[in-house]
Amino acid sequence: MDTLAFILTQCVNAFSQAALLFFLGCGLTLIFGIMRIVNFAHGTIYMAGAYLGYTSVRWLGGFVAALMVAPIVVGVLGVLFELFILRRLYGRDGNAFLMVTFGLALVLGDAVQVVWGAPPLQVPPPAALAGIAFFLDEPFPVYRLFLIGFGTVMAIGMWQFLERTRLGLLIRATSQNPDMVHALGTDVRVVRSGVFGIGCGLAALGGVLAAPLVTASLGMSLAAVVDAFVIVIIGGMGSFLGSLIGALIVAFVQVFGNYYLPEAALAFMYLVMLTVLVVRPGGLLGKEE
Amino acid sequence: MKRFRGLTRRGVLKGAAAGAAATLAAPAFLRETMAQATGPIKIGIPCALTGTFAAVGQVTKRGAEFFAKERNAKGGILGRPIELLIEDTQGNPANCVRKAQEMVERHNCRLITGVTVSSEALALVPKLEEWNTIFMSSINGDGRLTAASFVPNFFRANTSGPMGARAISLFLRESKMQKFFALGMDYAWGHNSVQVFETELKNASKEFIGKVFSPSGTKDFSTYITKIRQSGADGVYLVLAADDNNAFLSQAHQYRLAERMTMLAEQLELVSVKAVGEAAIGLTASSRYPFTLENPANAAFVAAFQKEHGEVPDQFDGEAYHGLAVLAQGIEKAKSIEAEPLRKAMEGMVHDGIKGKVTMRACDHQGEQRGYVVQVAKTDKLPHPTLNILKTYGADQITPPCNKMTYDN
Repeated sequence: MDTLAFILTQCVNAFSQAALLFFLGCGLTLIFGIMRIVNFAHGTIYMAGAYLGYTSVRWLGGFVAALMVAPIVVGVLGVLFELFILRRLYGRDGNAFLMVTFGLALVLGDAVQVVWGAPPLQVPPPAALAGIAFFLDEPFPVYRLFLIGFGTVMAIGMWQFLERTRLGLLIRATSQNPDMVHALGTDVRVVRSGVFGIGCGLAALGGVLAAPLVTASLGMSLAAVVDAFVIVIIGGMGSFLGSLIGALIVAFVQVFGNYYLPEAALAFMYLVMLTVLVVRPGGLLGKEE
Repeated sequence: MKRFRGLTRRGVLKGAAAGAAATLAAPAFLRETMAQATGPIKIGIPCALTGTFAAVGQVTKRGAEFFAKERNAKGGILGRPIELLIEDTQGNPANCVRKAQEMVERHNCRLITGVTVSSEALALVPKLEEWNTIFMSSINGDGRLTAASFVPNFFRANTSGPMGARAISLFLRESKMQKFFALGMDYAWGHNSVQVFETELKNASKEFIGKVFSPSGTKDFSTYITKIRQSGADGVYLVLAADDNNAFLSQAHQYRLAERMTMLAEQLELVSVKAVGEAAIGLTASSRYPFTLENPANAAFVAAFQKEHGEVPDQFDGEAYHGLAVLAQGIEKAKSIEAEPLRKAMEGMVHDGIKGKVTMRACDHQGEQRGYVVQVAKTDKLPHPTLNILKTYGADQITPPCNKMTYDN
């Protein structure tokens, strides 16, 4: 394998991984930015997305349907959870939210096991994306290329949504000064519900996209929640761009670390996180609080 | 003085005092034992019902529960029903020791089986003597359990990791493939099996060109696949389990790795085959228990299991069932569940069950049994691919010498 082919292969590996991580980190950081809630159930929501994706593919017969149905269903459930449970806790200290989201992780995890059972389930990539492209005599799975493309489109879409739309403006304003937004006549509670739903939906979308690579399994939540926290800590809690940068850093460190120093690849990721914490305690693009 | 049903008040008091004294004098464990000699036989299964190894633990639980139900319907063991104490360890050694200790101390359970991960088993064995407990491994592969870390109260009814590696390497001796690469999970079992495989290849004058270990819980295997492809090997040897195995097989299929080289696995679970479907076709593996084994006991087991669960038993359904069957036979032979008589009864005992004849040899308590190399193939009879047995090796060929985990030739 020549150098160019090697670098290309590794970049495809890393960017496709970054795309998956971005959905995880972005949802977590949005929720934190607006609500100051550390959502411990994020990994479990991501897993639930993968399982719902499995069922959508089965019942509706298409991966595209799964990409739409799973995030919407999970998003709506997220909104309901915010409405009926989280809303009662505002004004309490952060521990209340830790406990309640941790509880959600346990309950949701067991619910998934009751509904879908313990054995992992196969979610094959759609036929159109199951192929392989050869370049410089090296194979590139079409599905990974799709992940990169889809991730890029979604990242630009989210960015434009937050920067250019009125709703995006409200979200940013609420994250900076909720009292002022409220005083100006916007119901902050609605913004919060909506953002919690969007954050959960993004995690579920990540779960559906990951399923063809890892199958839908009960074990996927734990690794996901750890990755999501590392991304958000590196990028900065509450920063959208930070979660994108965090996802890229984590993916590249994992992919190149696994290649050159497989024994220490995991440690590398935490080392990067630690360095960021020492140099910029709020994360690369976050604000110290 | 009033008569009270033929007994004097003094007599009743005397009797009561004597009884109380005897009860107080008897050590606590004896009292417990007296109670245990008549009630149900408690068997503890501290296994990974959640976490990375959840699929393995859940299957173990299913196989064990199936055995208990079937056996209890026939009157249990020694006329006593089996009571399984199943607890979740999440595959974590510290949790496993804690749960097992609870079973022993709180529930007075002196029999343990079905532990999921080898590192959990390695953490348990030093405690067995103190707990006066027999641990019948039905899942744990690490060779050290019957070698350097062997303790007298440990027995292994299942095929070990080295035995699986041995079967596949004997198979490779006959093949044209020359160069091999290995990918293992980065913990006890993975390292142990890759090491045995490496030694085996040297003995067979084949070339071992490299190895890499992936942390347990790895989701993205693309870099490992790149590395394996670059190695230019004819075959890649995989020591992966549960979610990691499924993730690897799914992704290797997307990279068309099987077109470049043969994929060989130290062990194979049906749950993986079902989870990855087509991506598993062609995979050649050592199997500890393929449901396709042909013997009357297995035919009856598979048929009954299918009737109960609507699907064929998986590798660890079979192993969990087999481990309990060996333990039950030992208890009947010893007419006791006490560690010492049970240990003596099981040493050298021959069990003829779903895995054919298995001898629990006395020297290191490893069950001597046959090894199987299977290939995943398409079938119309089942909703998922099946396991064709390519080759069967005798117990003498795949069981290592006593207290060892490597082979002489």
